[in-house]
Amino acid sequence: MNVVYLNPFLDAAHEVLKVEVQATAERGNLSIQKSALTAEEITVLISMIGDIQGVVLFGMSIKTGLEMVSRMMGQTCTEFDNLAQSGIAELGNVISGRASINLSNAGIQTNISPPTMLIGRGLQISTLDFPRIVVPLKTEMGEMTVHLALREVQPASQSHPFSNPIS
Amino acid sequence: MNVKFLNPFIEAAIEVIFKETGFHFQRGDLHLEKSAYISDDTTVIISLVGGVIGNVFYSMNEQSAVRLVSKMLGEPITQFNNLAQSGIAELGNVITGSASVKLSNAGFETTISPPTLLYGKGATISTLDYPRLVVPFSSDDIFFVVHLALREGNSLGQTTATLAVPERPNVQSVNR
Repeated sequence: MNVVYLNPFLDAAHEVLKVEVQATAERGNLSIQKSALTAEEITVLISMIGDIQGVVLFGMSIKTGLEMVSRMMGQTCTEFDNLAQSGIAELGNVISGRASINLSNAGIQTNISPPTMLIGRGLQISTLDFPRIVVPLKTEMGEMTVHLALREVQPASQSHPFSNPIS
Repeated sequence: MNVKFLNPFIEAAIEVIFKETGFHFQRGDLHLEKSAYISDDTTVIISLVGGVIGNVFYSMNEQSAVRLVSKMLGEPITQFNNLAQSGIAELGNVITGSASVKLSNAGFETTISPPTLLYGKGATISTLDYPRLVVPFSSDDIFFVVHLALREGNSLGQTTATLAVPERPNVQSVNR
């Protein structure tokens, strides 16, 4: 995966966390992982389709999620219920949406899918042959980990989604 | 969720699985779920964007996954290892790809994302405000369930008329 795609996401994450939850995010050390990811308590999964395709994952603990949602909504949330889930999924959605605008400004057109919310520590999430760039973002509410598994689309698969049948 | 998006997936699932594995699958009773779903051993997630947007899940237990992959690869697989995971993800990918061709023939030009594979029973998977249409499939003692959380989206600005016609794939029958 190309590191060029990283900064649009980091810029988006910084900006959105600042606006939505008044948090300053500090970037930790990057790493590249090829093996399956063992999920944290909450994972928001958003797919990206277009000139680049792949999956973006946002992982965090329930405690961090609740604190972020409490700040977003301006009320204290103590339980990770539907409202809180929808808040965290929306946070992932807004960051990815903003990142796709940043990418588009750089001439890369993409579209994002609706978010899927995964809850359960220890779930194995595999992006198969896509290596992931992992970026921890430290905030005063805890750590949010962003996983980017993105690559450029080969022209063949763009023209026809069924271009690579196994048989 | 619109029921007209259902049939392309049912046709695609039955056709693709028959072609890949030789198993005749039959559809069970449909139902609509609004609550989150508690995951089975393995789940393939694929998103759709375009004329139809949303997420599709293919979920099954490990035993069914291993049997399907063994038949697909033509060799006995006993463990749900990387090879088996990649096979199941590819099966989801081909079914969704084939369904998206059918959707596109019906005027919903749709692009699919690469598959993501979840492995682990008991996690909660929520599509939030999208209700899911749940379609079970079975063939003897092999089961899998397709969850469709789809709605009509804005087209990407392409219509089927502007797309190149794909070449007819050169599919040969292979004795497995």
